[in-house]
Parts: sequence; structure tokens; C-alpha cells
Amino acid sequence: MNNKRKNFLEKRYKSEKRFQLFGLASISLALIFLVIFLIKIFSNGYSAFTKTWIFVEVNYDRELLLLEENPSSEDLNNADYYDIAYQSIIALDPEVDESSETFLIEMFAYNYELEIKNYLKKNPSDLGKIVKLKLTASDDIDQINKGNYPRDIPEENRRVNNYQLKIFDMLEARGDIINTFNLSFFTNPDSREAELAGIASSFMGTLFSILVCLVFSFPIAVLAGIYLEEFAPKNKFTDFIEVNINNLAAVPSIVFGLLGLGVLINIFGLPRSTPLVGGITLSLMTLPTIIIAARASLKAVPPSIKEAALAMGASKMQTTLHHAVPLSMPGTLSGTIIGLAQALGETAPLILIGMVAFVNTIPGSPLDPAASLPVQVYIWSESAERGFVEKVSACIMVLLIFLITMNLTAQIIRHRFEKKWS
Amino acid sequence: MKSKISAKGVNVYYGEKQALKNISIEIGEKEVTALIGPSGCGKSTFLRCLNRMNDVIDICRVEGSIKFDNLEINSKELDVVRLRENVGMVFQKPNPFPKTIYENIAYGPTIHGLVQSKQELDEIVETSLKKAALWNEVKDRLHEIGTGLSGGQQQRLCIARAISIKPEVILMDEPCSALDPIATAQIEELIDELKNEHTIVIVTHSMSQAARVSQKTGFFHLGNLIEFDSTEKIFKNPGNQQTQDYITGRFG
Amino acid sequence: MNEKSHIVKSYEEQLLLLKDTIVKMGTKAEKQLELSIQAMVRKDLELAKKIITDDEQIDRYEFSIEEQVVNLIALRQPMAIDLRETVVALKISSDLERIGDLSKNIAKRIISIQEVISSELIKGLEIAGLKTVRQVNLVLNSYLHRDKDITENVWNSDEEIDQLTNSNMEMVLKKLETEKNQIQLTQLLFIAKNIERIGDHATNIAEQVYFLITGDYLEGQRPKG
Repeated sequence: MNNKRKNFLEKRYKSEKRFQLFGLASISLALIFLVIFLIKIFSNGYSAFTKTWIFVEVNYDRELLLLEENPSSEDLNNADYYDIAYQSIIALDPEVDESSETFLIEMFAYNYELEIKNYLKKNPSDLGKIVKLKLTASDDIDQINKGNYPRDIPEENRRVNNYQLKIFDMLEARGDIINTFNLSFFTNPDSREAELAGIASSFMGTLFSILVCLVFSFPIAVLAGIYLEEFAPKNKFTDFIEVNINNLAAVPSIVFGLLGLGVLINIFGLPRSTPLVGGITLSLMTLPTIIIAARASLKAVPPSIKEAALAMGASKMQTTLHHAVPLSMPGTLSGTIIGLAQALGETAPLILIGMVAFVNTIPGSPLDPAASLPVQVYIWSESAERGFVEKVSACIMVLLIFLITMNLTAQIIRHRFEKKWS
Repeated sequence: MKSKISAKGVNVYYGEKQALKNISIEIGEKEVTALIGPSGCGKSTFLRCLNRMNDVIDICRVEGSIKFDNLEINSKELDVVRLRENVGMVFQKPNPFPKTIYENIAYGPTIHGLVQSKQELDEIVETSLKKAALWNEVKDRLHEIGTGLSGGQQQRLCIARAISIKPEVILMDEPCSALDPIATAQIEELIDELKNEHTIVIVTHSMSQAARVSQKTGFFHLGNLIEFDSTEKIFKNPGNQQTQDYITGRFG
Repeated sequence: MNEKSHIVKSYEEQLLLLKDTIVKMGTKAEKQLELSIQAMVRKDLELAKKIITDDEQIDRYEFSIEEQVVNLIALRQPMAIDLRETVVALKISSDLERIGDLSKNIAKRIISIQEVISSELIKGLEIAGLKTVRQVNLVLNSYLHRDKDITENVWNSDEEIDQLTNSNMEMVLKKLETEKNQIQLTQLLFIAKNIERIGDHATNIAEQVYFLITGDYLEGQRPKG
């Protein structure tokens, strides 16, 4: 009997251990996937945060620029920099022949002329002087510098030819190739050229969309939640509404995109590709999430508090507005942020309403055309150049940081305020 | 003794289930009436009829007449807000608002528009807290959160909140069931004081508490009011065998 | 009244023990009273001495009852019938103790009487004494069986004892007038008075038992001799 009991106990302990092991195994598996994903993204993307520059001696020859002494800023702007720019780059290789000049030029980003011009505009006193300037390298040189392109394959399969490689090595030996933090990734709008492409337009697009989404969905959802939870009579009709709100939360996002396209753009004639339309479309998606969160946190308000207010002679509305709603706010807000974070990651509805268009300006208001971060990821991942591969990962990293920040805010709001009210 | 609340033939139903059966009771002015009985006997349900708190429960239906002075409580036309201004309530679990002590007391007078100035409000807060024997303990921290007080203090805060609008009747639903004996004694002393100005109806599970604080006691069982008499009579020599079995611990 | 038993068994047991102690104490007091009358009739000095020593037992019962009552009130907070049971037990025990004391007193007085006393006087005292024994016996039965009618009977028949006592005292006084030297006859006056007071205590107990059963007080002017 005693032995039997001992065996039974042992069995019980073993099965308990086994159960814990299963749990541990599944968590480990999930963690491994997460780590692999992060490593992949990071290893692909970290190089996008640096940028390759080539030092070039630029001779701001007043006569070549056809400028007077002490020119006005307007003159500086209108001057033709093509010649001095071309000359400066060609000068990198004294033995260059005519056929290789193009190769030399191609080692630089296409806007080298603009960079040279902008420098002089900032430093007009350098007119007539020879200045050593750093110019953005082309994305192929960038990739060579970051070691992302193999050198030991046949020349015809390479995007950088032997001559360019020779010049690159020479410049590097002279210390004229440098690597710095890639600020332009954050300040530039999208571009066809990988070395110039940045996330500024899509970041602002996302920000505006989220703001519009918040402004539209939060008041509507909170009011709907309060009405349904506290005031609506319980009957077939409100049951029907409730079921439909829950269903709405499960509708595929692309359907909302179609709705946005069909109603907002085609019927109301709102401007296409703008964060305004994107935000409203996304708010359709966040509405049910916020309504559900608002109702849940209203339901979580202790009935004793509501009873206390009612017993003091507060009306239903006073009870709700003075007590229930303030108490439910932390829950509602964190639900809202989580809903917005979901919307933030949405791509499909935005593609449908045209926020997939190539935008090379930074939007200044929700009415300007813009992309959004997830759409930017989508656009760049379609591009062939190696330079965009790292940008995709970098963009995903920015998106993830955005999301983590929002979720963290939700957590903080929940903790900070819930403690205070309980 | 003048009757303050007079119930006649009150029936309460929760859906199909009848919770109270033909209750008739006279609650005397400025005295303490205790309602006792086993759990689920309907005593709390009856208490909640007196300030229409049963309205909150959708499936609850109240029949019969409950007169508060000459006002019919159980009437569709009754302004519930006005009624509750005159019939305050203290609950089983201390439930101060998660606001400051001051705001807790000031809430009632504010929503009922009883004060014109901040000074008047300050006075009401002070007198209410004094009447609830809480003033000395909290006067230096009126602007701290009310939920930070001890259980007994919270309950006295709730009583102070209830009396801040000077109701004629105070209903108490097991006000001491969550409190320690010292806090309980403080509340009981308070009830004794309050009965000079208010009519009090208290539901309690503690028979000794009913015996200590009340002048009249009603014994409820299975939705019936079995016996209603002076507290002395009920606890010395109840007229009904069921009452006797209940209060001497011979129930079941 | 046929009470259901308590949910808490130990409480029930304590109440039963209290009742049991009262009955035992009452039986002992009744016995003491009966023996003291016997000792008087037979002039049995040995028996009288035994009565005096046995009185201590009754005191011990009283002490035990007091302790039980205080414990019940402190620890059980009895209500209604239980409260009456407890309070009444305390009062009955003090009446019984007095009955015991008075019986002891009768025994003491018997010992101190040296002269021969006319059997006529003793007879009168015996009748009154046996009547009180019966009263005590009845009232104890009414306590044991919770019989309201008996208590009322006991209460009403106290008058008889009062009358008997009066006539006994008159007889003793007459005797004293004719035989002035028989000063010890005064002891008989005290015995007669003691018997009357025992009867009063029996009536007290009857009142207590009546309150215990009904929760009310016996109404009307108490019959006084």
C-alpha cells in the first residue's frame, strides 16, 4: 500500500515535470524564431545606417562658374555647376581616357552636382578656392565598401567593373573613402537611387495616418463603447450590433481598403494617396478594437463604485461620466494604442487607396500624398538593387521600434494610472 | 413612534423567482431598524427597494406600496434622484470613490447643488466628517486618496459621504461585515449617534450587532418577514419558533 | 417546548450540562430539606450533624453553576431561550443555595434544643415542612419537564405554607406565654420562619421557571400570608 502510494506520487511529480518541459520547449522555440528573425533583420539592415562618401577636390573656379565677385545667393543658385563637378571627378584619375570618364562619374550618386552646389551656397566665401569635399558614393560603390558585393566573380557579372574597382582601391588607400552615419536615410524622401532613398516621407505618412486614425476612431469608439455598455437597453437590436462589432474586428483588412477606395475616394472625392484617406480607412479597422477595449474596461469598473454614485443620487449620466469613464480610461487608452499599433502595421488597405505611389517629397500635412512605413517596406522589397535590400531591413527595424514604443506606452499608461485609481 | 417608511404587500421578483413575499413593515422615524435572516432571505433585496437600487437590475420587478412619508417610492413617476437625496445608503464593502477624501464628501452636495461657495462646501465636508467621527483622523490629509484609508476609516468615510447631503433615512447593507471588531464598534457607536437625526435601516448578519444597535428587528426567511418586533422582544423572547431557532443557532 | 438541537454540538452539550447540574443541585437541596424535617421529628442529632456537613456539597454545585453561566455568557453569547436558560440557572442556583442554607440552619437549631418539646408543636412544623418539601420537589419537576402548569400551582400554593407557618408561630408563642422558662422554644419560631422562607424560595424558583418557559413574568400580586 505504502509502496503503491509512493509510485503514484512519483508518477505525479514526473508528469508535472513533463508538462513544464513542454511549456519550456515551446517558449524556447518561439524565442529561437524571434532571435533568428531579429538577427536576420539586423545583420541585413545595420549597414543601411552607414553611408559611403568619396573625398573629391573641387575647384570652385569663378570663371568656369561664370560668376561675378561676391555673387548674390540667387546667382549662386542659378550658376551651372556641371563643368566644375565633372572636372573635379575626372581629376580623380589623371590617366583617365575618354571611355572611362563615365565609369568615374557612375561611382558617385547622381546628385553629385547638387551636393557641390549646396556646399557653395552654404559657404559663399569659398568661391575661387579649391575645397576637399565629401560626395555621396553610388550605391554600387557603397555596397563594395560595405563588402556586400563579391569581387572575385567575372567582370561581366559584376555591377562594378575592373576600372572602377582599381580607382576605388586607390582612393581607399589614400584614405579618401569614408563611412559615416547615414543621416540622409532619416531625412530623405524615397528615391529611385538606393544611396539617396530615405524613410522621411513614409515615416511622416505613417505618423499622419495614425494621427488621423486616432482623431477619427477614438471619440467615435469611446462614445459607442460607453453607450453600448452603460446605456443601451439589452434587446435583439443591441445584441445584433454587438455581434457585428465583434465580426468587424475579424474582417480582413483589405476589405476596409476596398471600402476606403470605393467610398472615400470615389464617392466623397477625397484626395488619393493621402494619409487622410489612409487614416480614415485604418480607423475603420481600429474602431471595433477600441470599442471592445472600452467596453471591457468599463465592465471592469467595480460595480460598487457605480452603486456608490447612484446611491448618492447621481444620475446615470453623472455616474458614468464622473466615475466609470475616468476609471476605465487607462484600459481604453492602452486598448486604443494597441489598436493603433495594429493599424500601423497594415499594408493592404493602404495599397488599395493608393498610398503605394512613389513619393519623393516629404508630406507636410495629411492632405499631401505620402507612403507609410510598411508600404515602404513593400515598395523597396520589390526593387532589384542590392542597395535596397539593406534598406528594407532597416525600414523594418524602424517600424519595429515604432511599434515597441507604442506598446510600451500602452503598458506604462496601464500601470501608472491603474494603480492610482484602484 | 411616528412611521417614516411604510411598506404594504411588497412582492419582489427576479425574473420568475419570487424574492420577497407580501412584506408589510413600518419603519419608525429616528430609530434603528435591523433586518436579520439567513443569506438569500431577501433582507438586502428589501433594503434596496427603499432607495430603488433594484432599478439597476433589469430582471427585478417590485410590486406593492412603499410609502416614504406620503411619497410612493415604488411608483414610475418618482424622481429617483430626489428619492436618493433623501435616502442615503452605505454598502457592505467600503466603496469610497477613488478620489481624495475631500472630493468623496463634496461629491453629493455638488451634484445636488446644495452649496454656493467653496466655503460652504468646506463646512459641509468638515461637519460630515465630524459627524462620522473621522475628522480628527483625516483633517490633515483631506486631499489624499480616500482608498488609502484603513477599512474602518473607509467605511466611516462612506457614512460621512452619505450624510453629507443630510438624508432623512440611511440604509446600511451589512456595513461592518468587512471590518475588525474595533472598527465595528466605532461604526456601531456612530449609528447610535446618527439615529438622533436620521432614520436608519440596517441589514446585518451579526445578530449580536442587530441586538446592540437597533430598536426594532425584523427577521426574514425565504422571502417572508417572519417576525417584526422590538429588538428586546426578539432577542429575549421571540414570538415565532423559526425566529427563535435562527437567533439561538438551531437553524437548518 | 420541544427545541431542535443546536448546530454547534458542544454548545448544546454545555447547556445540557448546566441543566443537569441544576437538577442535581435541586435534588440535593430537596434531600437536605427533607432530612432536616426528619431529624427534627426524630430528634436525630447524628442526622442533623450530617446535614450540616453535607451543605458544602450544595455550595460546590452553586459555584459550578456560576462558573458555567459566566462561561456561557462570555463564550457563547446565548440568545432568547438559551439566554433565559442561562440567566434562570444562575438565579435558581442561588435560591437552591438558600434552601440548603436554611435546611442547615434548621439542623443547627435542632441540635441546640435540649428540652423535650411537645409533639403537638413538632407535628405542626412537620406538616409545614413536608408541604415545602413537596413544593420544592414540584418546582424541580417543572424545571426538568418545562411544565408551566406546575409552576403556576407551586406559585399559588405558597399561601398555604404561609398560613401553616402563621398558625405554628401562634402555637409556639402561646406555649411560651404559659411556660416562660422554656426559653429554647424560641428556636422553634426560627424553624417555622425558615420553613416559610424555603417556601418563598420555591416560589421564586417557580417564577424563574415560568419566565424560562414563557419569557413572561408571572402576573398578579404574589399571594402573601
